[in-house]
Amino acid sequence: MKPSPLHALVAALGALGVFSLWTGLGASRVEAADDGPLVAHSVCEAHELEARKAADPSLQIEIPQEFASPWPSRAACLSHTAAEDASTPGPVQPIPFSHKHHAGLFQIDCQYCHTGTDRSRAAGVPSVQLCMGCHSQFPPTYDELAGIRTLKQHWEEKKTIEWEQIYRLPEYVKFQHRAHVQRGVACQTCHGPIEEMDKVYMTSDTVWWPWLLPAHKPEMGWCIDCHRRNGATQDCQACHY
Amino acid sequence: MSEIDRREFLKIVGVGAGAAAAAGCYRYSELPEKLIPYVIQDEEIIPGLPVIYASTCQECSAGCGVHVRTRESRPIKLEGNPQHPINRGSLCARGQAGIGRTYHPDRYVGPLQRGSDGAFAKTTWDDAQHTVAARIAAAQGKVAVLGAPTGPALSRLIDAWLAAVGGGSRVVYEPFAREALREATSAVFGVASEPIFDLEGCDLVIDFGADSVGGSGRSPVEHARQLMAARDVAKEEGRASRLVYVGPRLDETASVADEWLPAKPGSEGVLALAVARVAFETRSKGAPGSEASLQGVLAGFSPESAAERTGVSADAIRRLGRAVAAAKKAVALPPGVALTSRRAVATNAAVLVLDVVAGAVGTSLHIPPATETRVASFRDAVKLIDAMKSGDVKVLLVHGGANPVHTLPPDSGFTAALEKVGTVVSFASLPDETSERAHFVLPDHTPLESWGDAAPRPGVRSLVQPTIRPLFDTQALGDSLLGIARAMGDGVAGSLPAGSFRGVVESAWSGTSLRAALERGGEFGEGSYASPSLSASLARIEWREPQLEGEGEFVLLPVPSPLLGDGSGAHLPWLQETPDPITKITWQSWAEISERAAASLGVRPGDVLKVETPFGSLEVPVWPRGGIRDDVIAVAIGQGHTVGRYAAVQTPDGSSAPRGVNVISVLPSLTDEAGGRAWLAAKARVRAAGRFERLPFTQETDDKRGRMLGEAISLVALAEGGPSPWAPNQAAAVVDHGTPITGAAAAATPLGEVAPGEHAGEGDKHHEPEILRAYDAVADSLPTDPFRWGMTIDVDRCTGCSACVVACSIENNVPIVGETQVKRARIMSWLRIERYVGTGEPTLQPARPGPQNHEELGKTDVRNSPMLCQHCGAAPCEPVCPVLATYHSPSGLNGMIYNRCIGTRYCSNNCPYKVRRFNWYDYQIETWPQPQPLMLNPDVTVRAQGVMEKCTFCIQRIQAGRLLAKTEGNATPADGAVKTACQQTCPTGAIHFGNLKDEKSEVREAAAQGAGRAYHALHDLNTRPAITYLARVRREGEDHSA
Repeated sequence: MKPSPLHALVAALGALGVFSLWTGLGASRVEAADDGPLVAHSVCEAHELEARKAADPSLQIEIPQEFASPWPSRAACLSHTAAEDASTPGPVQPIPFSHKHHAGLFQIDCQYCHTGTDRSRAAGVPSVQLCMGCHSQFPPTYDELAGIRTLKQHWEEKKTIEWEQIYRLPEYVKFQHRAHVQRGVACQTCHGPIEEMDKVYMTSDTVWWPWLLPAHKPEMGWCIDCHRRNGATQDCQACHY
Repeated sequence: MSEIDRREFLKIVGVGAGAAAAAGCYRYSELPEKLIPYVIQDEEIIPGLPVIYASTCQECSAGCGVHVRTRESRPIKLEGNPQHPINRGSLCARGQAGIGRTYHPDRYVGPLQRGSDGAFAKTTWDDAQHTVAARIAAAQGKVAVLGAPTGPALSRLIDAWLAAVGGGSRVVYEPFAREALREATSAVFGVASEPIFDLEGCDLVIDFGADSVGGSGRSPVEHARQLMAARDVAKEEGRASRLVYVGPRLDETASVADEWLPAKPGSEGVLALAVARVAFETRSKGAPGSEASLQGVLAGFSPESAAERTGVSADAIRRLGRAVAAAKKAVALPPGVALTSRRAVATNAAVLVLDVVAGAVGTSLHIPPATETRVASFRDAVKLIDAMKSGDVKVLLVHGGANPVHTLPPDSGFTAALEKVGTVVSFASLPDETSERAHFVLPDHTPLESWGDAAPRPGVRSLVQPTIRPLFDTQALGDSLLGIARAMGDGVAGSLPAGSFRGVVESAWSGTSLRAALERGGEFGEGSYASPSLSASLARIEWREPQLEGEGEFVLLPVPSPLLGDGSGAHLPWLQETPDPITKITWQSWAEISERAAASLGVRPGDVLKVETPFGSLEVPVWPRGGIRDDVIAVAIGQGHTVGRYAAVQTPDGSSAPRGVNVISVLPSLTDEAGGRAWLAAKARVRAAGRFERLPFTQETDDKRGRMLGEAISLVALAEGGPSPWAPNQAAAVVDHGTPITGAAAAATPLGEVAPGEHAGEGDKHHEPEILRAYDAVADSLPTDPFRWGMTIDVDRCTGCSACVVACSIENNVPIVGETQVKRARIMSWLRIERYVGTGEPTLQPARPGPQNHEELGKTDVRNSPMLCQHCGAAPCEPVCPVLATYHSPSGLNGMIYNRCIGTRYCSNNCPYKVRRFNWYDYQIETWPQPQPLMLNPDVTVRAQGVMEKCTFCIQRIQAGRLLAKTEGNATPADGAVKTACQQTCPTGAIHFGNLKDEKSEVREAAAQGAGRAYHALHDLNTRPAITYLARVRREGEDHSA
């Protein structure tokens, strides 16, 4: 079963839900001021009000000078909120980092952060320093995002970030990232449409073997199926030692 | 997940569902896990890839260079530094196991001070340093520093520190110090230094009981490499090379020798002088002008008189003397610890005289100029004990792992004297008998956490660099000393270097490019040596045999353990569990006596002996051997510790009992002529104690029962050329079962061997001879696969040192099972060294025979045969596995997939080589205390309970090599790029590994070069092994005289 259309639909509906939830909350807050214009209390709210005004030019909005900044962008605000949402699949991370924002919108190469993936068995999680390499150059208005504040706090305290692991293989499986990356296997082959995910979760995938046996990701049958279709090794010792 | 997988199902069926749930059945994949990145990632570090740092091994004084392999800043394996001139990439068993010190669960985790209740209490570094500083200030110069030899930077700092804190004495203490040799060099050549022996290209090496290639030799890795390179049978000069061993016991070096002269212990000097005299008379090779003085020395030593005094025949002495005269490059090696008697200076001098006659000085014997660094001296230790007794030492500082309570004889009075010292400060990182008696413990870093240096010989300076952040609240010795000095005030600290000990090391290397030196491991150049002439003091040496104390009928020979050294190795479980290279006993002490002596005492292996000397008595199980003199009882030094999780026996009530016996406890505190320590000093009265103790040995008999294991061929037969006598006759390979192999193969019977196919003897019709089928190991991998991994093992080069065994265990996370489990034959080592003596009895004995020994006095037909998974092309283990957990891989490997294994053990039952090991327990998960799991190799699965395991040819290294080759754009790794752990560390290069499909590979070249002596283990079972063994070459029976 190819999941993509259905998943895209689910993801889209989910995103819509999140969006309406957020705007609903936001609206209730800004409308608290009676009869006057809608006042933004943050850059993200300012973006939101501008968007609403674009749809409804009659709307009265007021954006204080301190929130009249293009940064953080509206996309960043939306991704940040989406990544915080516990109701969507996948664990809530200590920082609501959005792959959709970084890898999807900005098209940052996966290996810019996951360095060593082409050389090592491990994909590697970027160091706090690497995050700060970009984020330390951003304007202070970004600090209204809780994730950015958490990141900066980790950096100041020189404390590592404990991310929740999503793809975990048992110790007796020695999956080699480098072998796959060097062969040009796309990250999405195993990790799903990561560039579309605000919050990462393990996309389900099932292959049906000829004798009607299902093999779910990330079980061995699922690996073998791909290896078989691509003429890769099926030697047990390639992974198990 | 509610589904039950196979192993969970079996658990539930086995113990009931309730128990399984209570035990917390989980899948690894369900464990909540965090991904924890670096805050700041070192640019050198890529998670998942090893980073290697050069450093220096600190396990003994040889000064081998090491490469510390780290993963994510955690050392996981030590390997020799290929650039280092001493060990050239190899390490011995002790060096390999040294990594365990850093992760030892017993380590002191911070500074301790003994409270008023007599127990240790935690303190802070600041408090401890200030208190010690105050005590030192109050001692007013009555301070002593006792410690093992250190590197030059630390040594200079200790001297400067002592001077700064108001003076005091310093004793460099090393139980196995070679003081007698230094004194002898001074007497013979007038230079007080320890000579360096170079066996490169020697065609005659006479070892006077030094056990040079054994673990306790002077520089075992270097000497084993040089010796085996000189004896390479592929070369003409290698075939002509001879090793002669003189000593009372068939030890590691004697086992590989061509001739063994079991001289009376203590008479080695007389033998050396008699041999020198014959050589001198045959052809004078002495330095010009020295003839007269030499003649005077040698005059009294005719072969006949020497024969009487040594027990070696006059013929043998003459033969050896003529061989010395005829040799192109000969060298004689002076005795080791076991034969250091009360006349040790004379014995060493006699051997040096033989070296002079042999013309070795300047070619194979180099005399470094007398050094300014402090050298170990027993005389100083005795003086210190006297000072301690008389109250002249108020503060004693013990550093460098020195453990005098354990390594000094009781009658030296050290332990009693220690109680008279007001403040004893120990810098030990691991608890030992001495540190447990200290008032302060200021724990030192382990060598893997420290800065330091070493200067093992002229021209070679070696660096020690930290490769891991200190695991505990410890502090480098140098920093502790500087801290104490600073606590004493500016007046004291002012004359010492500012900053840390790291700065001291860096400034000691200031003239060099430190960064390049760190990368290389040090500075390696040619040393300059003295070219001495004979000293006049030679004439003053008294040449006579030593007197032994006591009335007993046995000479007590305290042998340094090849694995435990002076006892410091007893704390490392890998060394405890590695079988002794000779007796194959683990975890325990034993006494070796001759079989004849055992018969007269009425004891069998394991019966306990009571060994009494005038200085004490001990009880130890006996291990009778053929390869020891009848008048000698040998007990290994190193066991008998009362402190330590592995060094002592932990009883269930939480206390610890001694493990084995400490032979030093029955030795006297006697000295040689110059005040050096005498080890061979006592006679022992021996009788049966009437008890039996089961010894944890791993090889019951040295009888190979005529099977094709540990083969040997005579040099004559080999030199004739022709095919290997064990090679199957190609023509006969297709004949029916039951027809013996005939023709050339059967005719070319090697010396004393039963011809293949004739195991039962010619006339015996009941045993049908097996058929040896020729095969091509290359055919046992898929034709489309570029590899067929295979090995060539040269039995002729194997000394049995067991470095490979330890390297394998550490590389592959092989668990340590402990003494009780070893007794149940559950040792887990993937690689063992089988030791066979002679051809053995070809007939099968139906009854369980018990330990057997076939050694004979004066015979050296020992075959050390490393046994590991043979990766058979027709592996008997594979078809019997019900779940396909073991299978033949496309590359020809015999794969073992742990997660498939359900533990039927059928494969082990069906393996004729008995190389498969079963996990009866979750050894590493349940019994490995923290922080030991930190040194596990993350590239190798830790096997769970109920799973079979075995040698994989280091598949993790093969896969890493293949992937690296692909990264670099090559289809396959270059020959030699993939090295197994055993091959990498082998000091003699006995193990070759590579791709058999590559016709130019080293592994095939080695097999082709040794084609005349190639065989496959148990070939007649037609398992088609991937390992080709090259038979031991026996050179005995050759005429030594040219």
